[in-house]
Amino acid sequence: MDIVVCVKTNPDLQMVRVKNREAVVEAVPYKLGDLDKNALETAIQLRDAAGGTITAVSVAEGNRKIRETIKEALAMGADSAAVVDDPALAGADPAAVAAVLAAAVKKLPGCDLVLFGEGSTDNYSGQVGPRVAELLGVPQVGFARKVEAVDGAVRCERSMDEMIETLEVALPAAVTVVSEINEPRIPSLMHIMKAKSKPVEEWTLADLGVDAGAVAARREIVSNLAEEQDRKHVLFEGSAAEQADAFVNALIKEGVLGR
Amino acid sequence: MEKVECIVVGGGLAGLSAAYGLADAGVEVMVLERGDYSGAKNVTGGRLYASPIRSFYPELWEEAPFERAVARELVTMLGDGAQTTIEVASDRFTADPPQSYTVLRARFDQWLAEKVGEKGGMVVPNMKVDALLREEGRIIGIRAGEDEIGADVVIVAEGVLRLLSSEAGLAAEPVDRDHALGFKEVIELPPGVIEDRWHLNPGEGAAQLFLGNVTDGMLGGGFLYTNKESISLGVVVGMKAMRERAEKAKPQDASESYQLLDRFKALPQIRPLVAGGTVAEYSAHAIPEGGIAAVPKLAGDGYLMAGDAAGLALNALITVRGMDFAIASGYYAAEAVKAAKARADFSAAGLAGYEASLRGSFVLKDLQTASQIPAFMENPRLFTHYPRAVSRLLEQIYTVGPGPTPGLFKTAWGGIRRDFMNTGTVKDAWSARRI
Ligand SMILES: Cc1cc2nc3c(=O)[nH]c(=O)nc-3n(C[C@H](O)[C@H](O)[C@H](O)COP(=O)(O)OP(=O)(O)OC[C@H]3O[C@@H](n4cnc5c(N)ncnc54)[C@H](O)[C@@H]3O)c2cc1C
Repeated sequence: MDIVVCVKTNPDLQMVRVKNREAVVEAVPYKLGDLDKNALETAIQLRDAAGGTITAVSVAEGNRKIRETIKEALAMGADSAAVVDDPALAGADPAAVAAVLAAAVKKLPGCDLVLFGEGSTDNYSGQVGPRVAELLGVPQVGFARKVEAVDGAVRCERSMDEMIETLEVALPAAVTVVSEINEPRIPSLMHIMKAKSKPVEEWTLADLGVDAGAVAARREIVSNLAEEQDRKHVLFEGSAAEQADAFVNALIKEGVLGR
Repeated sequence: MEKVECIVVGGGLAGLSAAYGLADAGVEVMVLERGDYSGAKNVTGGRLYASPIRSFYPELWEEAPFERAVARELVTMLGDGAQTTIEVASDRFTADPPQSYTVLRARFDQWLAEKVGEKGGMVVPNMKVDALLREEGRIIGIRAGEDEIGADVVIVAEGVLRLLSSEAGLAAEPVDRDHALGFKEVIELPPGVIEDRWHLNPGEGAAQLFLGNVTDGMLGGGFLYTNKESISLGVVVGMKAMRERAEKAKPQDASESYQLLDRFKALPQIRPLVAGGTVAEYSAHAIPEGGIAAVPKLAGDGYLMAGDAAGLALNALITVRGMDFAIASGYYAAEAVKAAKARADFSAAGLAGYEASLRGSFVLKDLQTASQIPAFMENPRLFTHYPRAVSRLLEQIYTVGPGPTPGLFKTAWGGIRRDFMNTGTVKDAWSARRI
C-alpha cells in the first residue's frame, strides 16, 4: 500500500506563553504536529505489516521551518518526502493548503491512502483532511482510532459517544486519525542519521500547476485571543482543616468534584 | 558501527560554535543536544562580551538576536539599610560596534543552531548522549540509547557538570570549591519602563551587579541585566560556602539556597526595580569559577573539551565571562579539527594545536591573569564588611542631623579610620595586588 501522510509544522505549544491574551510565538521552536505523528505512526504500522511506501508531504505556510519538520517525519519512518514552498503561500488558509496538498498527491507516482491527523496542533480547524478527500474525489473516514489493511480496502474504527463504529472503505481513500490510535515512536539517533539521505522533493506552485490566485486566502482571521476567564476570588478562612472542608464543599457545589 | 567525522556533545554555545566552524569548512558534523532544542536547558546571567569574539565568524554577529547593547554599568554595594551605587556610562561602550550585549539563551542558542543547519551541520535535539566510547585510551565515538556512533573526533561541550567526560576519565569530577550556583528569574517589563528605570536610550541596556547584603555573607552576589522586554535577575553563591553554611546551620535556621533569590527580590532596594513585572522563567545552574587551576586536560586521542566542560569561565568580580570563552573555545576546537583532518591525524598530537591556540588567545591568557581571583574571592569580608563600610561612610557624609555637623574631612577620615585602617584591610589590599 502506498501511503501519503500530510504533516504540518507547529509551534511547540508547551513553549507558547500568553501575554495580553495573545500567544507569544517569538523564539518558540517548531516541531511536527502531535496528531500528524499519530498519522505517521499509523502509516508505518500499515507499511510494516503490508509493504508499500510512505511519503510525507508538507506545505509551507508563511515562513515556518518545514524542512526541519520533514526531517523529523523521515526519521520516524517515512521513505521520502515532498515539500511545497512558494511565496504565494504566505497567507494560506485551510482551503488553500488543501488545494495544494491535493495537487501534490496527484503529482506523486501512486497513492492508495492519504492519512491526516484529525486537526493540527495549533489551529485545529480540522478542515484539511476532508477538503483534500473531496478535491481528490475519494471517500473519507474521519476520527479513526484504529486502521487496518484488508484486501483492497482499509477497515477503520471510530468511537461515536455510545458506540463504536467500524467502517470499511475501498482504496484509494483518505483517513484522519485521533490521538488514541497509537503512541508515536521516538526516532533513534541511527534513524535520524539515515533520514539525511532519504529523498526530499521540493516543489513550487508552478511545479504543481496550481495558480497563485487559487491559493489566495478566502478567510481572514479577525481576532485570535485566549479565552478570558472570570475568577471567583473566594477566600476561605479558619483553621487549615476548616479551609480544606470549605474548599472541597465549594468544589463539589461547582460540580468540579464528586460528580 | 555507523560513523561520522565529528560528533559534538552538547548544543550550547561552545558546541554550536565548534559545529558552525566545522560545517562551514565542509566537515561532517553532528551536534547532539539533550534539551528539546538548543537553548532550552542553558542558563546564563545575561551579558555576552562581543569584542573578544567579533573576529571569529564576523558574518554571524551582524544578525545575532542580541537583546540590548550595554551602555551602563552599575555596581551596587548593599549595606545595612544603606547602599551605594557606582554607575559608569561611556559612549565607547556602545560605539559601533558595542563591546557587550545582553542575551536570552532560549532565543540565542536556537538561532545559532539554525545557522549550523544552514551550513550543512546536523543538530539533533532531544538526544541525550549516555557515554563516550573509549578504546585503548582513545575516544572513538558515543552511545545514545541503543545506538553507538563512531567519530574521528568528539568535541565534548557538555557544560559545567561534565558527567560524561568525568565518567570516561577525561577530566576529574567537578568539586564544589571550583563552582558557584546561580538562581535566576526572567521578569517581563515593558521596554519603556526598563528604559526609564535604568535611564537608557531606546535599545540600550544596563548591567547591574550587587555585592553585600545578598548572599548572607557567602561568596557571591546579585546580577541584573536588562533585555528588550524583560530583565534577568539573579543571585550567585559559591558552592563551597553554601555547603559549609548548611553544615554549620542549626536545623531551624537552615534556609534553602533557592530562597536567596526570593529574599534578594524582597529587599527594599530591589523591589522598585522589579515592580510591576511578571516572572516568565525561573532557572538554576552551576558556574565554573575555579579559574585556570581547575581547567582539565583540553585534548587527547580523539577528543577535545570546550566551554564550561573545560572550566573555561571567569568570574572577575566586576566582569563575568563564560559565553565568550565558550564561543572562542568552540572556534579554536573547529580550527584544530580542520587541521587534524587535513593531516588525517586525530591523535592527541594531531589535535595539540587546540591548546596552543587557546594559550595564545585571550581565553587562557585572561584566565592566567585572573589566576589569583578565586582565592581572593574566598574572603568573606568582600561580601560583608566592604559593601557595608562604603555605604556607611558615604551615608555619614550625606547626613545632616539636628545638632552641629562635623566637617566633611573629619567625617570622612573618621569613617575611613574606623572601617579601612586596620590590619584586615591592609591584608586584603595586599592580597588584592595580584588580581
Ligand atoms: C547564573 C549564571 C550567570 C552567568 N552569567 C554570565 C554572563 O553574564 N556572561 C557570560 O559570558 N557568562 C555567564 N555565565 C556563564 C555562561 O553562561 C557559560 O559559561 C556558558 O553558558 C557555557 O556554555 P557551554 O556551551 O560551555 O555550556 P552550556 O551552555 O551549559 O551547554 C552545554 C549543553 O550540553 C548539553 N548536554 C549536557 N549533557 C549532555 C548529554 N549527555 N547529551 C547531550 N547533550 C548534553 C546541555 O543540555 C547543554 O545544552 C553565567 C552562568 C550562570 C549559570
